[in-house]
Amino acid sequence: MSAILELRDVGVRFGTFDAVDGVSLTVNAGEVVGLIGPNGAGKTVTFNVITGLQPATRGRVLLGGTDVTRQPAHVRTAMGLSRTFQVVQLFAGMSVLQNLMVAAHRHTHAGVLVDALRLPGRGRALRQAEERARAVLAFLELSHLADLEVTSLPVGQARLVELARALCLTPTCLLLDEPASGLDPGETADFVALLAHVRSTLGCAMLLVEHDMGVVMPLCDHVIVMDFGKVLASGPPLEVRDDPAVRAAYLGEEVH
Amino acid sequence: MKLYVSLALSGLPIGAMYALSAMGIVIVFKTSKVFNFAAGAIGLACAYFASTLHSHGFPTLLAVAVAVLLGAAIGVLMELTVRPAKGALTGTIVTLGWLLVLQGVVGWVYGTQVATNEPVQIVGDGNFIDWGGVLLYSNQQVVLLVVAAVLAAGLAVFFTVTALGTATRAVSEAPDAARLLGIGVNRVNLVAWGLGGAVSGFAGVLVAPLLGGLDTTKLVVFTVQALAAALVGRLSSLPLTFAGGVTLGLLQPIVARALQQFDGIKGTQELTAFAVVLVSLLFMKRSGRRDVGGGLLPAPLQPLPRGVFAVATAVGVALAVLLAPLLVDDVGNASHYNVSQVAIWGLATLSLVLLVGVVGQVSVCQAVFMGCGAYGTGIAMGHGVPFLLAIVIGAVLAAAVAALVGLPALRLEPLELAIATLSLSFTADRFLYSWPPLASSDGNRPVARPGFANIDPGHVANGQRAYAWLALGIFVVACFAVASLRRARTGAALTALRSSEPATAAMGFSVVSVKLRGFAASGFIAGLAGALYAGLVQGASGAAFDFTRSITLLAYAVIIGVGSVPGAVLGGMIVTLTTLTFGSTSDVANGSQVSLTTMFTGIILIAILALTPEGLTGIVSRNVRKQPELVAA
Repeated sequence: MSAILELRDVGVRFGTFDAVDGVSLTVNAGEVVGLIGPNGAGKTVTFNVITGLQPATRGRVLLGGTDVTRQPAHVRTAMGLSRTFQVVQLFAGMSVLQNLMVAAHRHTHAGVLVDALRLPGRGRALRQAEERARAVLAFLELSHLADLEVTSLPVGQARLVELARALCLTPTCLLLDEPASGLDPGETADFVALLAHVRSTLGCAMLLVEHDMGVVMPLCDHVIVMDFGKVLASGPPLEVRDDPAVRAAYLGEEVH
Repeated sequence: MKLYVSLALSGLPIGAMYALSAMGIVIVFKTSKVFNFAAGAIGLACAYFASTLHSHGFPTLLAVAVAVLLGAAIGVLMELTVRPAKGALTGTIVTLGWLLVLQGVVGWVYGTQVATNEPVQIVGDGNFIDWGGVLLYSNQQVVLLVVAAVLAAGLAVFFTVTALGTATRAVSEAPDAARLLGIGVNRVNLVAWGLGGAVSGFAGVLVAPLLGGLDTTKLVVFTVQALAAALVGRLSSLPLTFAGGVTLGLLQPIVARALQQFDGIKGTQELTAFAVVLVSLLFMKRSGRRDVGGGLLPAPLQPLPRGVFAVATAVGVALAVLLAPLLVDDVGNASHYNVSQVAIWGLATLSLVLLVGVVGQVSVCQAVFMGCGAYGTGIAMGHGVPFLLAIVIGAVLAAAVAALVGLPALRLEPLELAIATLSLSFTADRFLYSWPPLASSDGNRPVARPGFANIDPGHVANGQRAYAWLALGIFVVACFAVASLRRARTGAALTALRSSEPATAAMGFSVVSVKLRGFAASGFIAGLAGALYAGLVQGASGAAFDFTRSITLLAYAVIIGVGSVPGAVLGGMIVTLTTLTFGSTSDVANGSQVSLTTMFTGIILIAILALTPEGLTGIVSRNVRKQPELVAA
């Protein structure tokens, strides 16, 4: 299996505080990896380092074997990385379809002049983006939401739309930051089923940060536990779940 | 060395005045998070008022005291109008309205250019005090220094020791929590604005003699130095602000000396202050709060159904074509000259619609971009480039300058960008437009019209008509271009960027590139407007593109509604009509009437922002949208 995403000894230091301290991890093609840990363990910071929103103090980030540690976020997106956010970050004031089209434009080419002067490429870019966005909406069975303004959506649907937007980028590696937070148990179960469907159909690798074991256990091939910025344990879900150190960090149990 | 020491020290008294005015700004900012751009204008009003009182026989100190009370009253009134505005940025735009109002009122009452009134002097100039052979200070200057230092120390103590000072900080950090603790937030704000107004007013009264007499422009431009000092104080520390003002005062004579070798260079003081503003903005710690936009930056327009979009555009264009010729000259003939004006100022407004409404950034220096377009055209034509190519070169130059201005916007909040662009406007006024490489010796660089639109004797009417078609054509194309841009890939990226920068980057767009393109496109359109204006009046000069122009353009864009492309036509018509009625800003003879325009623009801006930040088109479209609901009910 080839590594889609690789972190080598990544560290992020805020002042004197090591938010992330020497994290190494690998996500292989088509694999689903769960990143879990208590609040403040450094999961989201790790995510931001991977996507390029947070510069790493040390270590390297590799995408498909290429070092992207110094590359800005949009370059990494062009290399197949895609993400959702812990707090949903849809583009307010735009419809669901328009939100997806922003992402779908990754595959189109039209500059300021082409757009402003209605040169030939403009219409094609808009058509392609709309087709792509509608196709993804249909795939996730969200077509009925297309024309709704995104701030009017309940959290559950907003998360689905954010997933749809991320998929419009045709990612090879999808990063999901607490996709189930704010969802009720029923919605969470549906979301897990949907992610499984996405995985089996599109075959993209996923890295997800999640608290809810009900999401992590059925989905993940591999689980990484973080605490205090370090990797505490790593392995298949069941094995990690029974790891005493993990139970101590997570449940506050004494290590016997 | 001794030379430089005495040079620097010569700037000390005026530096103390920068510090004083800046403290007025800081006091207001500390509580309300609103930047008082009208600080210099308050000083202007107070200085003139004190002078009038004095000439009517008031004793000096009493005149000064009453004038300072006026400053406090203006501050209180400003607080009342800023209060309804949502967000610090909107509040700051309200203070721009006050700048216009105060400048207008003073200009109307006293006449704009003529400084016939003598400034009030607390102590006569009579005696000089020798400072160890390095420098001579007049009594007046020593008094200024002492007064400023005492006042600064007093204010600093006031804010750290008294209950009101503590309350001020509480209000600024967490207004709602302060409210729950029983602090009267409105009362604290009123006191801060009153105090700030009084201090800024006092600074104006004191500094007037140092600026060589009363002058409506100089006292307003004085704001740029106060801004610089306030930024050095990080908008919070009064002692640092004082140090900043004094340092700026010490620095200016040295910079002026260093730049002396360039012949005809002017405005080095403002240039120094501008540099300080930029440097402090770039080194200022980011507040991390991105909600300063408040209500001013409207949510992007809902996607109109294709049919409606076509109709809206058609109506806009029809308005441009049909209504514009209704503007007639004084003999009653259709005035092609005025049609050209509508198109040109419409273009200028359009550039702001693009920048504020689509890119989501505020620029108070759009007239500077116009100036770049005008001078660029003039310079290119001086090298034998034909007119139509020259205006493109001018516009490209303006686009490049706009991209440069946009560069700090990558790091700055919209409010900070407003500070930077306003400072640029002031600096362009004093420095850029008289800079020898740009301006000709008389400050007016000739721009010849293209052959098909020349106005040689016997060809005037035809020439004006041809030029009007040219300007109108470019304007209509630009309107379509902005509308098209907004609804395509670039528009999607720009709109997304305003909502969430991290998410836009995660969608594969470079934040840097998208923002800079937005700025460049806006600068290009403004540059075209400036270039066409230069062709219309056959010359490029800075007077048409002064800071008042930049502010009023922004005001019109906000009044009309920054989200509206057809609204740009309205902007063009407002500028043209007011010019027709009251004369252009560069028309010195009509000074009083121009001031009326300025004043009313300010009043309307303040009123509109108090009612709705969406502007006129916002009110209209909201009412239109409401109707179906009524029917349904």
